Amino acid sequence: MSSSLFHTLNISRQDILSRLTDLDVSANNLANVNTAGFKTSRSNFQEMLDQKLTEGVLLSNTQMLTAQGSLTNSTNPLDWAIQGEGLFSVTLPDGTTGYTRDGQFVLDADHKLVSASGYPLVWDGTILEGMSDISISSEGVVSANDADGVRVEVGTVQLSRFPNPSGLTSHGDNVWLESDASGAVQTGAAGAENFGTLNPYRIEQSNVNLSQEMTHLITLQRSFSMSIKAFQQTDTMISQAINLRKA
Amino acid sequence: MIKGLYSAVSAMVMNAARQQVLSHNIANLQTPGFKQILTTAEDFMQGQSVYSPGLIQTDSIEYLGTMGLGTQIGPEFIDFGQGALQDTGNPLDLALQGNSFFSVKTPDGNRYTRDGRFLRDADNTLVTVEGYQVLDDAGQPITLPDGDVSVSSEGAISVGGTAVAQLGIGVFTTPRTDLQHTEGNLFSGPTASTSQDVPLVVQGYLETSNANPSQLMTQLVEVARSYEAAQNIVRNQDELLGKTIASLGRIG
Repeated sequence: MSSSLFHTLNISRQDILSRLTDLDVSANNLANVNTAGFKTSRSNFQEMLDQKLTEGVLLSNTQMLTAQGSLTNSTNPLDWAIQGEGLFSVTLPDGTTGYTRDGQFVLDADHKLVSASGYPLVWDGTILEGMSDISISSEGVVSANDADGVRVEVGTVQLSRFPNPSGLTSHGDNVWLESDASGAVQTGAAGAENFGTLNPYRIEQSNVNLSQEMTHLITLQRSFSMSIKAFQQTDTMISQAINLRKA
Repeated sequence: MIKGLYSAVSAMVMNAARQQVLSHNIANLQTPGFKQILTTAEDFMQGQSVYSPGLIQTDSIEYLGTMGLGTQIGPEFIDFGQGALQDTGNPLDLALQGNSFFSVKTPDGNRYTRDGRFLRDADNTLVTVEGYQVLDDAGQPITLPDGDVSVSSEGAISVGGTAVAQLGIGVFTTPRTDLQHTEGNLFSGPTASTSQDVPLVVQGYLETSNANPSQLMTQLVEVARSYEAAQNIVRNQDELLGKTIASLGRIG
């Protein structure tokens, strides 16, 4: 087996860089420990080995973990949480459809339901001026009192789901986009099988597990130090080889 | 004296190779299902040690015995020891216990792996994080209907209470001889299990790397010092050689 110390140096270098990316992922998770509807991501490391030649580690991808976040109570009738797989659809400024789990909606100046980030919710109803007491059923039917105080149904909010939600592309602002990896979007009524139910007066908490994330940070830091040690030691070995000849 | 020089250099070369494998093991401390690589060092060839008193006219060479001519890197082994299980709570993270392996389909053929990070792809097929299809007990890809996936300890997959497939799991009596390390975290081996043992699948967990950090650190120190010692010997040999040439050649 042939080997070069410079190749070894490269293994450690790749290792150190992967750990730094992992730190970014972890820091983002920790920063969003209180973001409603946020989903944890994890770094997937993979061994690199080619024809018995050891090549260290590769950060093959980051994976979104779609576990349900816990629901907390709120006093706002427009806080809707999804229990199950579904996602809300919102219209992004460029016209494309984004998907979010953050169900903290507000009525904007034009009586449109918009998400916390200001993107309009995609649904089949409109809320007219003068309407009050907007509420939603667990099946997604929105009702309100009209100007005369009569309770009317104004429309339905449908949910979206994907075969592989962990493959969705992150758009930022707690919004994801459809991708080749996620598969095609499926739309269905709230309460239908696999779409999940809508829960008014509830907020879905971030699914970041703080203790798990902190433990990860510890192991990450320790493996980072070990990679640095290995790197420094390989460097020392190269220097010793260079100084084989006594001056 | 020249023999000694090459013996010392061989120790440097051997330790450089060990350093590479150690760095590889350290780099994969956070790779689920990773099995650490073990290196071996072995004796390089043996030579004859002779003594010649320098008498003229007689064949005066005396054989004193054998002399080692240094070291070389021996065959590498994979440590198939069990790694610790880590709770992830992700229903498509699977861990294995015992000498069992998931079978996956790669472009180069079917492979075995201990890495149980699976997910559904866009077509609802069960795949690894690299996108390789996970195979069932008939060697076919597994398609999952919509719904919550549960996996029994024997590897039977069911979705929403309906049985879907049985994971293809290879169980081997001696993985060290049955399997070859081909690509990262993947092993090639016989199509049929060599052991009758029932595999044990744990859902929601991942098997962590089986490399032990404290062991790696001590090995790292060992390699550093052996390399340093060998380097010193080379320098000493060089110095002696230099002195021999300079002083023995001098006349008067």
